[in-house]
Amino acid sequence: MRLKSLFLLDMRFQAKHGFYFLYIVLTTIYAAALLAVPESWQEKTAVILIFSDPASMGLFFMGAIVLLEKSQHTPCAFAVSPVRPMEYIIAKVSSLSAISLVVAAILALAASVDNLHIILLGTAISSVIFTLLGIIIATKIISLNQFILWTVPIEIVCFVPAILHLFKAAPAWLRYYPINVCMEMVSGYTPSAIGIFIVIAGMAILFIFSKYCVLKMWNSMGGVKL
Amino acid sequence: MKTIRLSFFQMLAYMRRDRMLFAACLAPVLAGFLFRFAIPLLEAALTDWFHVSAMIAPYYALIDIFFAMLSPAMFCFVSAMVSLEEADEKTAAYLFVTPLGRNGYLAARLGIPSVAAFLVTSVLLPVFKLTSLSAVDIILLASGGTLQGIITSLLILTFSSNKLEGMAVTKLSTLMVCGAAIPFFIKHDVQYALSPLPSFWIGKTICENALLYMLPAFILSITWICFLLKRFLRKI
Repeated sequence: MRLKSLFLLDMRFQAKHGFYFLYIVLTTIYAAALLAVPESWQEKTAVILIFSDPASMGLFFMGAIVLLEKSQHTPCAFAVSPVRPMEYIIAKVSSLSAISLVVAAILALAASVDNLHIILLGTAISSVIFTLLGIIIATKIISLNQFILWTVPIEIVCFVPAILHLFKAAPAWLRYYPINVCMEMVSGYTPSAIGIFIVIAGMAILFIFSKYCVLKMWNSMGGVKL
Repeated sequence: MKTIRLSFFQMLAYMRRDRMLFAACLAPVLAGFLFRFAIPLLEAALTDWFHVSAMIAPYYALIDIFFAMLSPAMFCFVSAMVSLEEADEKTAAYLFVTPLGRNGYLAARLGIPSVAAFLVTSVLLPVFKLTSLSAVDIILLASGGTLQGIITSLLILTFSSNKLEGMAVTKLSTLMVCGAAIPFFIKHDVQYALSPLPSFWIGKTICENALLYMLPAFILSITWICFLLKRFLRKI
């Protein structure tokens, strides 16, 4: 019940601050761009667009979301409420993943790619990973510029191997890199069992670490350690 | 003048604390090295691999345009983020009633970073350019890029009321620079659908080697800036 309320609260928060409007505009532009490129490029372009925007939106926006909550003193309220850090994290992850899934589905359909279910699963997993990374960074920063700076190395570490993997220019052992497994799924390929295991293990570690970071943030709100 | 200088230094101190000052200064140089040396290497590898005569080379001029827009985008974006934080924390409203005033605040947060961006671009572009650009081309590209940077900052500041909306507007406003790529890829008249974007005319200037196209770029940029500035001043 609490999780459902948090999920709806996050969705309302995102709608209020123009997330849905932004993604309606972006999806229209991306779909137009997809239809404008030659047919032979459409599939790869769709994969890059899905992976670099809807799938990774959590990494881009989480700093601003958490900072805005901090300036509105919401974490202080969470710290003394029965809400658990994991509920807070799951609500954030699922509400952002919902937008990612809808946008990815529209782009995949616009590019008429096969294996839509694998693409959507890959988008959902990527979205969870990027949002968790965003939460971990966002709990540690005090300004937007700081957040943007912190995300640069993460983006390099995540996007460069994934793009190389997409164009088959990465070494073979990198196919087990969790982000590359996600990229493979966003491209419509079924990943190997080892790949799936590594991604699940990676997500579990990120969930535990983000829980620790959120708890630490809540406990140090208001200038004192609770 | 003293108040503007002090306000600008206050912003620099804020950016230095975040290490963003260091990043904003370093990023154009790093990108310059990447554009100047890594792209020709990549081009050589790709042409070898696919057995074609050219892949990225026909778009070197476009890369130069994006490089000319990079420093202004970086400098103006960073100062817009500081202004957004100030608006969010309500400190901007207090600054307006000090001797700094609205105009001083705009000069410190938009004017000085833009001038700095223009100077940096004018110095870096001749060093890292991939095509043969004349001194006039460089000055025009640096000016066009700077005006584009100001437009991006004003879009962020005008259409957002907090950090989160600022990030959303940032995402949309960065798409404005993509107008520069249109003349390179779409030769049909449908390209004019994006003619309200100053970046479209900057792209057309370089793509068709016709300096006259910078005139609509400047007129449109000034129109955008006046419109956005008017709305921003009404908002604050």
